[in-house]
Amino acid sequence: VSSDAQGERDIPGLGRARAHSPGQVRRSALTPFRIVLLYAAVGIAWILLSDRALEALVRDPVYLQELQTVKGAAYVCVTAFLLYYLIRRNEQDRRVQSEEVRAVFEGMADAVLVVDAASRVVGVNRAAVELFKAHHERELLVPLSDLMLRTGMRHLDGTPLAFAQTATRRALAGEVVTAFEERFRAFDGKETVVSITAAPIRPRPGDPPRLAVAVVRDIAEEKRFEEMREEFLATAAHELRTPLAVVKAYAQLMRKRSQGDPVALDTIARQIDRLTRIVHQLLEVSRFRVGDAELRPERFDLSALLVETADALREAAETHRILVSTGAEVVVKADRARIGQVITSLIENAVRFSPQGGDVEAALERRGAEAVVWVRDHGVGIAPERQARVFERFYRAHAGTAHDYGGLGVGLDMSREIVARHGGRIWFESAAGEGSTFSFALPVAPEERPS
Amino acid sequence: VSPAREVLVVEDDADLAALLEIILLDAGYAVRSAGDGAQALERVAERMPGLVLLDMRMPVMNGWEFAREFAARHGRAAPIVVVTAAENARLRAEEIGADGWLEKPFELEDVIAAAARFLGPAAGAAHAGF
Repeated sequence: VSSDAQGERDIPGLGRARAHSPGQVRRSALTPFRIVLLYAAVGIAWILLSDRALEALVRDPVYLQELQTVKGAAYVCVTAFLLYYLIRRNEQDRRVQSEEVRAVFEGMADAVLVVDAASRVVGVNRAAVELFKAHHERELLVPLSDLMLRTGMRHLDGTPLAFAQTATRRALAGEVVTAFEERFRAFDGKETVVSITAAPIRPRPGDPPRLAVAVVRDIAEEKRFEEMREEFLATAAHELRTPLAVVKAYAQLMRKRSQGDPVALDTIARQIDRLTRIVHQLLEVSRFRVGDAELRPERFDLSALLVETADALREAAETHRILVSTGAEVVVKADRARIGQVITSLIENAVRFSPQGGDVEAALERRGAEAVVWVRDHGVGIAPERQARVFERFYRAHAGTAHDYGGLGVGLDMSREIVARHGGRIWFESAAGEGSTFSFALPVAPEERPS
Repeated sequence: VSPAREVLVVEDDADLAALLEIILLDAGYAVRSAGDGAQALERVAERMPGLVLLDMRMPVMNGWEFAREFAARHGRAAPIVVVTAAENARLRAEEIGADGWLEKPFELEDVIAAAARFLGPAAGAAHAGF
């Protein structure tokens, strides 16, 4: 076995680091148990064989006695030296290993904080010292609560962060925390936004965590970029609306005055509406995600909304029949416009992805405490390998296929977001070539007591 | 011109201002225009219109500033309808205590309906010949 391979087997990924000091490579096949076993075997063999040999060679009992004493002393000396050698080698290996771990720890670009079970910071790397703008790591090796107080740790939106909510506290409670975002003031007063990943460290699997290790990444730059992008999108959408308004209104005005080709003018108006929807979507998807857009919940009959929405879409869908079946009225408490948007999105998709025409069925059913709306088409369906990503923002399941009928890839993402904000859920079943059924469920509003 | 039938269009985009003017004239209303909030205040001082159609983002003096000044000087002497490209036109209208809103791009009929709401019905019959 080459020394390199052996090193890699000991600590995955560290083989290369160890290759720089080949003299200190461990022959770690010698476990403590094996050493003891070997020692016992060699010892017993030595005692038996050397006694036999001495008895055969020396006849004088007094001389024999002396020789055996010397032999015993020599044996102790040799084994003592052996013991010394083994301990020393072990220690050296350990030191090399801990130096390597330390080098990796220090070399990490992300800040690392290690917190013990008493919530005291017991280890930090250089990146952490830099992140907190500390002069010395000692400044960080304090109780977590002190560090929180000194840096004013809080949620991204500025609300205070409870001690139990911190990533490391949660990790110490046994949770693996990923991408927990918070903000704090570094020691020089600089506002910092970070993403934290924290995990518990247990002495043995099943034991309570003894330490928590938190990897802290500075995401201020990312956040700033994200905000700029959203801002840009909002401005662009805003700027587009005035020219759209002018073109659309002139088309309508000419139509009203019976000037120009009515078909052409209607087409212009329709395309302007389409552009407006795209602009709207571009802006909305980012705003809604950021949490700006608030919901305006009201009580309304979901079946009426479904019928109404389908009616509005029927005009545009010349080659499709849109069939709606609803039973008794089902009252939900939700943002009517937003839920209408979800239904629109599902029906539009159903139409878009059944290019050969055919029926699009939509229905509302009450299932226990839930109102379920489903929309079924008999179109192209979604390939199994693309199904997992259907609700992903900007994902277009049919991009680059023969069934790429356009779209921004935001409708289903928005729909999921809207439904989730209403405490509902959204799902689908699909088979390639047979069509898809998209459904969403909203909680039915409790009866309102007449006052 | 009876001020009760007059609309003051406050809009910095000349094409959009001209368009609103045509729509309203067609519908039988009188129209004056202002390119920004400061000009609009001058027009208002000359004569109080029956309705103000107000764009929000404008140079010199924007819609928010105009609405504040207008309220300070004239109270609620004329209703204000916000014409905005903002994503949430209703919120804009609430912000400045306006009486209504039009979201860009608007329907022709919505403009006429807004005027009719505050100034009385459009003179539709007289202009049916267009």
